[in-house]
Amino acid sequence: MMKLNKSVFSKTLLHKILKPFYLLSAVILLCSHDLYIKMDSYFLKPHQEAIFSLYNGTFEESENTIARHRMEDASVVAHGNRTAINEGQWKDQDSTITQLPFKAGEAGTYVIGISTKVNSLKQTAEDFNGYLKHDGVLDMLKERTETNTLNEDVNESYEKHVKAIYQVGDKKTEDWKTVLGYPIEFVPVSNPYEKYSGQTLDVKLLLEGQPLANQLVYADFVKSAHGHSHNDHGHHHDHHGNHSHDHEHGTDHTHTNGEQLRTNAEGIVTVKLPEDGIYYLRTIHMAKVDKGDITHESKWSTLTFEVTHQHGSHTHTHDDHEHHHDDELPTWVFILGSIAIIGVLFMVFRTKE
Amino acid sequence: MKLDSKKAFTLLFLFLPILSFAHDVTSADQEILRNGGLFAYIHVGATHMLTGYDHLLFLAGVVFYLNGFKDIVKFITAFTIGHCVTLIGATYLGITANEHLVDAVIALSVLYKGFENLGGFEKLKVKSPNLLLMVLIFGLIHGFGLSTRLQSFENGTEDLLAKILCFNLGVEIGQIVALIPIVFVITFSRKKKQFPSFYKAVNWYLVLAGIGLFIMQMSGYFSGH
Repeated sequence: MMKLNKSVFSKTLLHKILKPFYLLSAVILLCSHDLYIKMDSYFLKPHQEAIFSLYNGTFEESENTIARHRMEDASVVAHGNRTAINEGQWKDQDSTITQLPFKAGEAGTYVIGISTKVNSLKQTAEDFNGYLKHDGVLDMLKERTETNTLNEDVNESYEKHVKAIYQVGDKKTEDWKTVLGYPIEFVPVSNPYEKYSGQTLDVKLLLEGQPLANQLVYADFVKSAHGHSHNDHGHHHDHHGNHSHDHEHGTDHTHTNGEQLRTNAEGIVTVKLPEDGIYYLRTIHMAKVDKGDITHESKWSTLTFEVTHQHGSHTHTHDDHEHHHDDELPTWVFILGSIAIIGVLFMVFRTKE
Repeated sequence: MKLDSKKAFTLLFLFLPILSFAHDVTSADQEILRNGGLFAYIHVGATHMLTGYDHLLFLAGVVFYLNGFKDIVKFITAFTIGHCVTLIGATYLGITANEHLVDAVIALSVLYKGFENLGGFEKLKVKSPNLLLMVLIFGLIHGFGLSTRLQSFENGTEDLLAKILCFNLGVEIGQIVALIPIVFVITFSRKKKQFPSFYKAVNWYLVLAGIGLFIMQMSGYFSGH
C-alpha cells in the first residue's frame, strides 16, 4: 500500500513537473500555424519581379512549408481574370517557407488566394484547451467551459483559406472585391489601396459565401520594411501595444496580439490603420460537429495588405513640405524679431518728430 | 508715411528670414491629431492660430484702427464669421488650393491693413473701401487658408464635420487668447504721447511684413517648396 502510494505520489510529482513542458509543447505545436501570404512589399511596379512567401506559423516566423498536394486552390486575380498558379511554380526555400517567384503584370490592384484541403488532428482535452486559449478561439473555449466539456478529447478537422491584396503601379482596379469562393474568406468593403494611414478599412468576413456575424477577428500590423512613417520622428513607437516580436514560445505567447474585433450583423469589422505598415487579419471559425469521428471543424482565414500614407496635391509630402514645416522658427523668435523691428521703426519715427 | 523707401527696404530684407518661418503645420501636429481624437483638433486649431503670424498681424492691424471696445467686437465678429464660413465649408466640401497662393493673398491682407491704417488711400486720393466689408472678405480668405492647412493633415473620413468644428473652435480660442495682449498693448499705448510714432511703426511693420510674407509665399510657390 505504501509502495502504491509512493508510486502515485511520484507520478503526480512527475506530472506536475512535466506539465509546463506539455503545455509548452502544445503551444509550439498547435498555436503557430496561421497561414499568411507575405511579400517584402505589397506595392510593386509593373513587371517588377517579386516573391510570395507562405508563412505557416506566425506572421513573423514560418515553421513549416506547405505541401503542394495540400493546396486546393492557388490563384491570382487581376483585371477581372482569375489565373491558377501552377503547382510546379512553388519552391521550398528551406524546410519552413514555401515561395513563389513571379513577375508582376500591368498596373492594377491584385488579389492572390491560397486554399488548403481539409486535414484533421486528434488532441487531448488539455492540448485543445491550450490551443483555443493561445489562438484566441475564445468562443469555443467559453462553450466548452459552459457545457462542462473541457475534459473532452477532440478530433478536429481544419482548413486554411488565405488572401493577400497587393498594388501594382498606381492604377486602382476593382479586383480587390473578388470573392474567391473559399469556405471562409475576408473581402474588403473598399479598396485597401485607396485607404491611407490614419483611416479605417471595413472588411467583410464570409463563411460559405454568407456574412459571418459575431466572429472574433484579430488585426495587427508590422511597419513596412521599405516604408517610412510619420511616427518615425515622434514618440509613438509602441504601436503594437503588448505585441512582442520575439519568436520565443512561452506561456505568455498568444496569437491574439493587435486589435481584437468582432464582426457585426453584416459580418463586417472596421480595422484601424493607424500608421504605415503591412496589415494582417486572422480568424478561426470553429464549430462542434458530429461527422464520423470528427468532433470539431475549424476554418482559418487571413488577409494581408499594405497601407501607406496619402500623397497628393491635397496633402503634404515628406521631402518638401513636411520638413519645411518642421523647420519652423519658434514663435518667441518671431515675436522678439517683430518687437525689435517695431522698436527700430519707432525710434526712427520718434527721431523724425 | 514718411519713412523713406531706402530704409524701408533695408528693414524688409533684414527680417525676411524671420517671416520665412511664419506659421505652418508640423509633423508633430499630425501626430497629435492622429492620436488625440477630437480634443486634439481643438488643441491644434488653437496653437495654429497662436503661431499663425499672418492672421495675428492682420488682427492687430484691424484692432489698431479701432477705438472703442464695441467696434473691436463688431469687426472681430465680422472676421470670425468670414473665416468660419470658408474654414468649415471648404474643408467639408474638400475645396482646396495651393497653400502658397492662399497664404500670399493673406499676406496681401496684412499689407492692405497697414497701408489703410497709414492713410494710404487718402494719400492716393482714393476712397477707401468699407472696412467692415473688407474685414469680412479677408475673414473669408483667412478661413480658406486655415481650411487649406487643415486639409493638409490626414484627417480620415470618420467624424469629419466634428473634427472641422473642433479645429474651428480651437482657432477661435487661439484668436481670443492672442487678442487679449494685442488689445491691452494697443489700449495702453494710446495713452502715451509717443503713440503717433508707435502707430506708424507698427503699421509700417505690417506693410513690410505683408510684402515680406508675400515674397516668401510666391517664392515658395515658384520653387515648389
